[in-house]
Amino acid sequence: MNWTLTLWRLASFAVAAGLIALWQLIANLKLASPVFLPGPDRAWAALMRGFSNGTLLEKTIGTLEHMFYGWLVASVVGIALGAMIGSSRAMRSYVAPSLEFLRPLPVSAIIPVAIALFGLTQGMALFVIAFGAIWPMLLATVHGFGAVEPRLYEVARSLHMSRLAVIFKIALPSASPDIISGMRLSLTVSLILAVVCEILAGLDGLGHWVLLSARAFRSPDLFAGVILLGAIGYVTALAMSLVEQRLLRWRTSGH
Amino acid sequence: MTSIALRKDTPSAQLEKSQIAFSHVTLDLGGKTIIENVSLDVKPGEFLCIIGASGCGKTTALRLAAGLYQPTSGNVSFDGEPMRAPRRDVAIVFQDYGKALLPWRTAAGNVALALETIGMPKAQRPARIDELLKKVGLPHHAAKYPAEMSGGMQQRLQIARCLAQEPKALLMDEPFGALDAMTRQGLQDEVLSLLDASKATVIFVTHDLEEAIYLGDRVVGLLPHPGRIGIDLKINLPRPRDQLTTRENPEFLRLRRELFDFIKASEA
Repeated sequence: MNWTLTLWRLASFAVAAGLIALWQLIANLKLASPVFLPGPDRAWAALMRGFSNGTLLEKTIGTLEHMFYGWLVASVVGIALGAMIGSSRAMRSYVAPSLEFLRPLPVSAIIPVAIALFGLTQGMALFVIAFGAIWPMLLATVHGFGAVEPRLYEVARSLHMSRLAVIFKIALPSASPDIISGMRLSLTVSLILAVVCEILAGLDGLGHWVLLSARAFRSPDLFAGVILLGAIGYVTALAMSLVEQRLLRWRTSGH
Repeated sequence: MTSIALRKDTPSAQLEKSQIAFSHVTLDLGGKTIIENVSLDVKPGEFLCIIGASGCGKTTALRLAAGLYQPTSGNVSFDGEPMRAPRRDVAIVFQDYGKALLPWRTAAGNVALALETIGMPKAQRPARIDELLKKVGLPHHAAKYPAEMSGGMQQRLQIARCLAQEPKALLMDEPFGALDAMTRQGLQDEVLSLLDASKATVIFVTHDLEEAIYLGDRVVGLLPHPGRIGIDLKINLPRPRDQLTTRENPEFLRLRRELFDFIKASEA
């Protein structure tokens, strides 16, 4: 079984390597102008250069900060609000229509509003990222809280558990699979919005770096930025699924 | 504890006080009368079994006793006090053990839930958990999650959690209904020996007539549509009961015949 798994891993690496080789080939054959399309060799060199003089590291940290703070605010507010709405049937029916109106609203439409309110500031970025990232979490939490096994509430009643104990010992853990998958979706949204905000507001980060590089025709730098953004998305998603595996161990351990 | 034992030994006291009392209880749910004019007294330490055809309101009666439902008219009382809400000293063993356990907590964690709520200091919990798990025959499964346990083990775990509440009464809703025959018989004997130690009052709902006779001091049969008491039998079989000799006892066979005829007549 492990053997086939290794084989699949190797195959997936081979695909990635093949794509990079194809990219190099296209660059070498000059099918696209080298001004716009550097080969992976030049992109890699730009990446190394950026890290050795510290600029890229700084930009990466900038983007990670925007993404993380926005995501954190969205998580705390989303889960708290979701718990409140989800744990009461009345609240659910009052609030659900408003949520359904706000949820499909494109976050890009909120950005001008946020700029008008906060100016081109970090606060604006925080607001936009948190606003965009809150939905998957909020809706997942509402759903998770609504789907708690009623029998468990009866167990809680027969034990005379306090309201707070019911939330923390029964509802929250029961909703945790939903909440965690919402948090993972939100993570991706946060990265996208972090980049958008940096581009629009000129905030220090990879988004801004990518924009400036493109404007100055420094295509290797542009690609280095894009590669880093991809890596951030990949690594954060990986970290999240490790956390998920750890927290939801009870779910997979069947026989 | 001593007072209960005393009452058991003195018939005069036993006559006076009942632990769980239904008095002219009627329950309507969704415009339908589910239980009609049921009066029932359960003495402290008594093991009462409720049987009846499906849909006769057995489970509903149990939920009334638990305080999970409130009667439309009449009243349910426990130790003389009206039962307005579930009580911590009345534990409920649900039939669907898979839904009544916390899947994200281990066996030890599930028992701990009850200990946490009764406010036992953290330092005392591990010893109590070990003791309870040992009592229900799960001493080596403390670290397992419910999903890793068989149905019989999960039901034992639920019973352990109920015992952690230190209940005066145990309400059991077809607790072994979903288990295979062998597991079932094993658990019947374990429940009897557990109760021998704890002296709790029991209401045990089952659709298995033999199980009711085997376990109970008394068997009440309900008639359906709406649910009302149709038969109330005292079970005078010697204790401790034994899976072979008790079930071969002529009195056992006579009672089985009587209940069987009752069910047959109630379904007609």
